[in-house]
Amino acid sequence: MAKGRELKGRIKSTENTRKITRTMEMVATSKMKRAQDRVVAARPYARALGDVIASLYNPDLAESFPLLRRPAQERTAAVVLLTSNRGLAGAFNANLLKEARTLLASLEAQGVQVRLHVVGRKGIGYFKYVGRALEKERTDITDRPTAADAAGLVDGLMGEFAAGSLDAVYVVYAKFNSALSTPPTAERILPVAPPASGAAPKDYLLYPSAGEILSDLLPAYVRNAAYRALVETVAAEQSARRTAMKNATDNAGEMLNTLRRTYNRARQAHITQEIAEIVGGAAALQG
Amino acid sequence: MKVSVISPEALLFEGEATSVVAPAFDGEVGILAGHAPMLTMLGAGMLRVGDGGPAFTVKGGFLQVVDDTVRVVTEQATKA
Repeated sequence: MAKGRELKGRIKSTENTRKITRTMEMVATSKMKRAQDRVVAARPYARALGDVIASLYNPDLAESFPLLRRPAQERTAAVVLLTSNRGLAGAFNANLLKEARTLLASLEAQGVQVRLHVVGRKGIGYFKYVGRALEKERTDITDRPTAADAAGLVDGLMGEFAAGSLDAVYVVYAKFNSALSTPPTAERILPVAPPASGAAPKDYLLYPSAGEILSDLLPAYVRNAAYRALVETVAAEQSARRTAMKNATDNAGEMLNTLRRTYNRARQAHITQEIAEIVGGAAALQG
Repeated sequence: MKVSVISPEALLFEGEATSVVAPAFDGEVGILAGHAPMLTMLGAGMLRVGDGGPAFTVKGGFLQVVDDTVRVVTEQATKA
C-alpha cells in the first residue's frame, strides 16, 4: 500500500501546517485587538491638538511659521513609506508598495526629486531588489510604536523643511478604518494643512502668545500625524495577517478533507482487492 | 469641573476635580472651578489633579480651560 503511506505523510504535513497557521491567526487576532486599542487611545490627543490649532490659526500667521510655508514649486520631496518587518500578511506590503510606487511616479513626472525613507524590512527589501537608493531605512520600530519612534521619524524632516531644503513630506501608510478596511493611503504631512478653523472663545487668555503656542504645537501636530500613521499601520498589518492566516487555515482544512477521502478510498480498495485475492485463491484450491 | 489629561498614546485621566496644578512654561499655575478661558504652554514638572488625586510628570504641550473644562494635552506624561 505504497500510495496510502504517501497520502498519510501528506495528511500529517498538512495538519502541521494548519496548526501553525491557526496559531498565527490567533496571535494576530490578539495583537490586532491591542493595536486597535492603541489607535482608539490616540484619538483624544489628535482631536485636542487639532481643535486648539484650529482655534489659534488664522491665515495671516501662515507667513511667520516655517512649517506652514507653501513653496511655490515642489522641487524636493521626502516620502516616508511604512511597511512591516514580517511577511505572511497577504497582500499587505504589496499594496503599500504599489501605493508608494504610484506616488513616486506621479511626483517624478512633475520633476520633483524624491528622497525615500522606508520603515520595515519588507519595503527595504523591495527597494534593494529594484536597486533604488534609500535615504534612510529603519527596522527597529516594533509592534508597539511609541511617540518617540514617530518623533525620530519626522524630526529631521521637519528641520529640513523649515530650513527650506525640502518642499514636501508624504507618508504612505495603511489607514485603519476597521478590521476589514485598511486601504493603503498617501498623505502629505508637510507643509501642514491646518484643520478647518474653529471660532476661538472670547477673552481667551493666551500665555505666552498665540504665535508662540502655535510654533510649539505645529511640530507636535506633525509628530502626531506620524504617530497615528505608525499605529494604524501596525493594526492594519495584524488584521491583514489574521485574514491571510484564516484563509490558509480554511484551505488547509479543505485540503485535509480531500486527502483523507482519497486515503480512505485507497485503503478500501486495497482491502477489497485482498479479499478478492483470498476468495480467488480458495476457489482455485477447491476447483 | 471636568479635567482630562491626554498624551499622544492615551487618555490618562478623565473625571471631576476641584483643582488642577500644572507646570506652565514660566512657573506653576493653579486652576479652580470657574476659571476664565485660558490656553497656556506647559514646561516640565509635576501635574496634580485635585486634592490627593492622580499626579503625573509632564513635559511640553499645553493646558486649556474652556467652559469649566480643563484639558491638559502633553507630549510626554508618566503617572507619578
